[in-house]
Amino acid sequence: MLDNILSILIFFPALAAMFGFVVAKDSIRAYGVTVAAIEFALSLFLWYAYDPAVSGMQFMESLPLIPAFGISYLLGVDGISLFIIVLAAFFTLIGIASLPDMKRMKDMILTLLFLQMTMIGVFAALDAIVFYVFWELSLVPMLYIIGAWGGPLRIYASVKFFLYTFTGSLVMLVGMLFMAYFYHQATGTWSFSILEWYRLILPENIQLWLFVAFFLGFAIKVPMFPFHTWLPYAHGQAPTIGSVILAAILLKMGTYAFVRFSLPLFPDASVFFMMPIAVLAIIMIIYTAMVAYAQEDIKQVVAYSSVSHMGVIILGTFALNVEGISGSVFLMIAHGVVSGALFLLVGVIYERRHTKMMSEFGGLASVMPHYATIFGVMVMASVGLPLTINFVGEFLSLLGFYQQSHMMTLLAGIAIIVGAIYMLAAFKKVFFGEVTNEKNRNLPDVNKRELVALIPLVIIAIWLGVYPKPVLGPINNSVESIVQLMHEKAVTEEAKARIPDLTSTIVINEAKEETK
Amino acid sequence: MEIGLSHYLVLSTILFAIGLIGVMRRKNLLLLFFATEILLNSVNVAFAAISHYHGDLTGQMFAFFVIAIAASEVAVGLGLLIVWYKRTGKIDLDMMTTMRG
Amino acid sequence: METYLYIALFAPLVGSLFAGLFGARPKTIIAGLVPTGLLFASLVSSTILLTHVLAGNTVHVELMTWMETGDLYIPFGFVVDQVSVTMMMVVTIVSTVVHVYSIGYMDHDKGFNRFFSYLSAFVFSMMVLVMSDNFAGLFIGWEGVGLCSWLLIGFWYHKESATWAANEAFIMNRIADLGMLIGIFLIYWNTGSLQYDQVFAAVAGLEISTVVWIGIFLFIGAMGKSAQFPLHTWLADAMEGPTPVSALIHAATMVTAGVYLVVRANPIYDIIPEVGTVIASLGAFVAMFAASMALVNRDMKRIIAYSTLSQLGYMFVAAGLGAYWVALFHLMAHAFFKALLFLGAGNVMHAMSDELDPFKMGGLSKKMKGTFIMMTVASVALAGIYPLAGFFSKDMILEVAFVEHHYILYTVLLLTAGLTAFYSFRLIALIFHGEERYKLFGFDPHEAYKYMLWFMAPLAVLAVIAGMMFKGTYYDMVTQLLPAGEYHVHSAFTYWVMTIGTQIFVGLAIVYAYRKYENAKIDKKVESGFFYQLLFNQYYIPQFYEEFFVKPYRDLSMIFWKHIDLKVVDATVDMIGNTFYKTGKETHVMQNGNLSTMLRWMVAGLVFLLVSAIVFAKANDIFAYMVTIVPGLGA
Repeated sequence: MLDNILSILIFFPALAAMFGFVVAKDSIRAYGVTVAAIEFALSLFLWYAYDPAVSGMQFMESLPLIPAFGISYLLGVDGISLFIIVLAAFFTLIGIASLPDMKRMKDMILTLLFLQMTMIGVFAALDAIVFYVFWELSLVPMLYIIGAWGGPLRIYASVKFFLYTFTGSLVMLVGMLFMAYFYHQATGTWSFSILEWYRLILPENIQLWLFVAFFLGFAIKVPMFPFHTWLPYAHGQAPTIGSVILAAILLKMGTYAFVRFSLPLFPDASVFFMMPIAVLAIIMIIYTAMVAYAQEDIKQVVAYSSVSHMGVIILGTFALNVEGISGSVFLMIAHGVVSGALFLLVGVIYERRHTKMMSEFGGLASVMPHYATIFGVMVMASVGLPLTINFVGEFLSLLGFYQQSHMMTLLAGIAIIVGAIYMLAAFKKVFFGEVTNEKNRNLPDVNKRELVALIPLVIIAIWLGVYPKPVLGPINNSVESIVQLMHEKAVTEEAKARIPDLTSTIVINEAKEETK
Repeated sequence: MEIGLSHYLVLSTILFAIGLIGVMRRKNLLLLFFATEILLNSVNVAFAAISHYHGDLTGQMFAFFVIAIAASEVAVGLGLLIVWYKRTGKIDLDMMTTMRG
Repeated sequence: METYLYIALFAPLVGSLFAGLFGARPKTIIAGLVPTGLLFASLVSSTILLTHVLAGNTVHVELMTWMETGDLYIPFGFVVDQVSVTMMMVVTIVSTVVHVYSIGYMDHDKGFNRFFSYLSAFVFSMMVLVMSDNFAGLFIGWEGVGLCSWLLIGFWYHKESATWAANEAFIMNRIADLGMLIGIFLIYWNTGSLQYDQVFAAVAGLEISTVVWIGIFLFIGAMGKSAQFPLHTWLADAMEGPTPVSALIHAATMVTAGVYLVVRANPIYDIIPEVGTVIASLGAFVAMFAASMALVNRDMKRIIAYSTLSQLGYMFVAAGLGAYWVALFHLMAHAFFKALLFLGAGNVMHAMSDELDPFKMGGLSKKMKGTFIMMTVASVALAGIYPLAGFFSKDMILEVAFVEHHYILYTVLLLTAGLTAFYSFRLIALIFHGEERYKLFGFDPHEAYKYMLWFMAPLAVLAVIAGMMFKGTYYDMVTQLLPAGEYHVHSAFTYWVMTIGTQIFVGLAIVYAYRKYENAKIDKKVESGFFYQLLFNQYYIPQFYEEFFVKPYRDLSMIFWKHIDLKVVDATVDMIGNTFYKTGKETHVMQNGNLSTMLRWMVAGLVFLLVSAIVFAKANDIFAYMVTIVPGLGA
């Protein structure tokens, strides 16, 4: 089973969803939870079987699809993708388990299972075409979720979401085809395998063009400023579960792809574009944090806060050293957990009051104390308090980038101030003060179904904040190999200087060990 | 004066232009068919001339194909035209707008 | 010894979690007793560790790895050495007292259980802060106390002013924390480690400019926690929290974290005396600045808060001038008498149904004898009268300034000492002496519970004897780690003149305060004066911040959202989308179904294709021609 575990992980939910069409309506929730639980157990088993000491790809599977063009069904995980896969399985599970009763429940659960297939496919794919296929496929269930269960503006939001991200990915596809073409030029054979591409050293000017092509696809997905405007609409209109999956997993595709494609394929271009991207990231961080502060809708606050945090992830990624990239990969997980939890929490009051306007609330701390406590923990995690999961990621990301630029990091560090401003202001508006609105006076506190989703998230948010090693260790190993690869591949002097050479430090570390 | 390839091509072009103007200007469906025939035949002239010039029979074969297709097209087209005329009593082009996009 | 270390550290956490279990339920006395008991265990462990350290040992443990990636390695490591054990003693003593006191003080509060959970969590964070053996661990505690401070200031969350103050405190601290974080980054990238011992060993070999930056950024962090100008406004507003919180967090422990940081990082600051001078000057400025605001304020707790601010200024003067042990000593003494003062104020507040204006009190000494004695003791200690604690610690700072030839600082501090005595006894006179004005307002004051007073007594005793008894032992202990330095004025004559002069000056200030305020006469003329108004409005700094930072931020956020995000960024995207949509909408006229129109379009397309084919072919020819002739042009 271990040989095919990735295929099983990808296609089991899809198959189960097919069978799901014949399951009776009453038992569909139980069916969905069972499938998602099995899937999650499988993903945990993957984690268990994963050897953290190996930095390369594991559980590789290969099946030629179009041998003439070197397209094959190639899968594998390393420390970078492993945890996002686990997270995707986890969020699908708690998403289905905590799903409130809604119309067309069955369609929703089956859509979620299809979505899970595409999500895991993206993170497990090692062939550019397979990656692209899953990448685009993931749009469809999401489009359906927003368009069918969304708010009043759902059609506009879903079409915008689809077209915007689709446009970006088409440019990315062109970049992939060119990449394969250059590979053909260099080696005489066709290949779309990312691992094969890694070995290709491209001249700097070609790297720059390809980087831009890939960048457009990824940046829209992340979403980076100024391509971020689809996100508030999508979050604003999507049902709770849609927002949760979108924020927790789908956005990570963009940042993950930066680490998987842009950095190792184009090290020189990454160095070349480091500062412009850092500027964009800083604008993202500060500007969207301010926009978040101005929001009147609590869900929009969380949505914009997502963009702001993604800025820190981008910054960490383009630190191009082990600390920064590890931090940013860790922050992807952290942000998934925290923003997913925040969206779930917003869903809790939305379900009770059918409004997300902060002015409608106030004084909820005395009405719903447990809810307020969980929300408070997540707010603090989002603010990046030490010993919560976000801090580890943010600290490492900023620490990493500090090596590249002092001034930029100082500016990006404003994240911790502006982040506190909008989050605390929102928290105060909703939870503090007297209960002014009569409708809020008898709101029931969180129920068991909601706790099933929230308690594990709280535990993870604190556990990984206190003891990040189980996750950070494998990430670190894989990131080290990427950084080393980038250093070796770099063509220009500047890139060689900016990307640290790990072999030298390894030697020093060994020397240290010996002296001990 | 020897009549060479260019003369045939000029003739073909002139025919094509006449056909084209006919296609653009005529409102009567029947006359439109005439114009289309002129277009096709202008091309046939060019095919035949170039084929002869190169000493390659392919072009002349193509001309035959075109004639065959033109004939069948006219057959189908006239059939449709008659049906249309029976239904509406007119064959004015401006009245035929059922395929509005 | 390690067991004691873990007990001292984790007992408050266990207490906090225990009380947290009862968080949302109505008052359960056990939720107060258990954390208090555990804290007492922590105090006992700390004392045992103190004896261990006094014997010349230190304890250093590494619990587990926290972060490890690349070259970065941060463990949860804890160290009990001469400096941290001092802080541990201060923290555990004051917090044990405050816990017991709070059982009485929060007696009727709905959030009794929640309060103890927060309070114990604070103690845990503070212990992490002082016991960590690396800068990252320090930062954990640093942010942890910030969180607990936020929770506790906003404890009565239904009050708008309380939650506002809580957020203000958190955000102001965050501004400073950014500085601290940058300082940590600088340290890491320059020394390759965050462990104190390795950093301090490596720091001597760094370029001086780097060390200056490290020193500056770390001090920015300290400025936030210790509420130094210009990040000071949160401390006075933080008085919205329950009074035991003010005593523990905003007087005795958390606000002194900044001083602790500078003391802890003394090997860094030793290299850069010029930064030290800046710190000292800022400290002296804040001492004077805060004392001046305390002179006229009419809110009992705010007066004490300003006094705290002023004393923190003193500590920074000492730390900045390299007299780290003096700073730490004043920190300790100050913690005792200031906590006592606050707890006394808490008693008064309880008696007066949360009234804070001392002008509405008066003559309370008859009704509240115990509180009166304790607050007087604390005030005398604060004023620095021999032989109480303040004399030994605060006058020592004056001497440091004098011996180090910073005469301006000395003068400022001396004047401030007079101001300190004045405002302290203005408060005492207004509350406890003169007419019983509270009767006019219909208050019925009563003394606090007996056990609360009994548990305040240790603080009172410490406020009296801490200077006399402990100075020698303390000096011997901490100078094993901190740079030693006996700051004695060389000539005995000067020394006596200074000491006695200071005492007389302070005494006069006290007498003046009594004379002026015993009858609580309000001088209308003075009150309408410019200086009074300036001081009363805190130099208009809060208004300034509101006007020039808060409002613009809010407005700018609004502009960013409504005008830039929606009208520019998003509108651009929509415009591109709409262009395609409109193009389709406009051009679908072509498809009007009219055969002749369609044929015309077809012809037009054909012509266009033909023309472009010709043009491109020609262009290619011309281009090829150009290529052949261009090289010739250059030659």
